[in-house]
Amino acid sequence: MVKLIKIILIFTGISCFYFFSRPVFAAGRVLTDVKVIHASMGPGHIDPGLKKIISELESVFKYTSYRLLKDRRLNLGFNQEGRVDLPGKRTLIVMPTDMDGKRIRYQINIKKNNHLIFKTRVLLRNDSSITIGGPKFNNGFLLFNISGSMR
Amino acid sequence: MKKTCSRYTPEKISRFVDNELSQDQYYAVSQHIIHCPDCNRLAGQYKSLSAVFNDHADQQKLQINPDRLRQKLLQNTPCSKKNLLGNILVFFSKNIYLQLASIAVILIICLFSFQGSLFGPTGPSAIVTSVDTDFTSVMIIETQKEKHTIIWFSET
Ligand SMILES: [Zn+2]
Repeated sequence: MVKLIKIILIFTGISCFYFFSRPVFAAGRVLTDVKVIHASMGPGHIDPGLKKIISELESVFKYTSYRLLKDRRLNLGFNQEGRVDLPGKRTLIVMPTDMDGKRIRYQINIKKNNHLIFKTRVLLRNDSSITIGGPKFNNGFLLFNISGSMR
Repeated sequence: MKKTCSRYTPEKISRFVDNELSQDQYYAVSQHIIHCPDCNRLAGQYKSLSAVFNDHADQQKLQINPDRLRQKLLQNTPCSKKNLLGNILVFFSKNIYLQLASIAVILIICLFSFQGSLFGPTGPSAIVTSVDTDFTSVMIIETQKEKHTIIWFSET
């Protein structure tokens, strides 16, 4: 019985800690994960790390093969640029600029041969992701899955 | 529950009372508390605490006869919804485990609803506020299930 009381106390303690520590975005670091995916009509294949996101994308895309070319984790401060080199002399530049409620505002640029070819601003829900796609590569297309998490 | 004897920790004594020690350990502690007033007193305190809880729990178990409860609920259903609700409340208030479980459930629901993840995502995963590109064709798509945002541009 003493054990049960202990378990309840520990559970309550953990809950309180979790509850009060979550909404505090004190340090202002944004964990940004960039996955570079090659989608094509090649032999059916989905890399294990991509199952969750691809199950979502498959409702829109009809590709049969999804391969993870690169997975970069960036720990960024606000207004700090994170660069990821992409195939075909392209560069992806992500920069969290500020928070808007529970969303992280990102500036996302894609350069090709050092020339800006794509530029967007998005409000990404915390612990969520966005997929940007389109560039042709190796008989398929490149997809960039960018997720952000504010701690 | 303070004690000065350092031979056994209060946790060990508590586990002794709850009968969670190995046979050897149980024997050693039972021999020790015969001579040590400190540990003996602590064991006594844990025993009485356990007894209170066990008695209470047993009483509740005896009081709730599932068949009678079902009958009562069935009898009351046609009368009014208020009575049914009353019965459920009484059922909950009589059982300490149910009370603890309900508190835990309420806590969990609070935690998840504050994070906004229990009731599914609200709005798209990303709101696109601006897109700027040399290319003519840009599509913004949202998947149905998770409302995952996709921006598609053609490099032509
Ligand atoms: Zn002792």
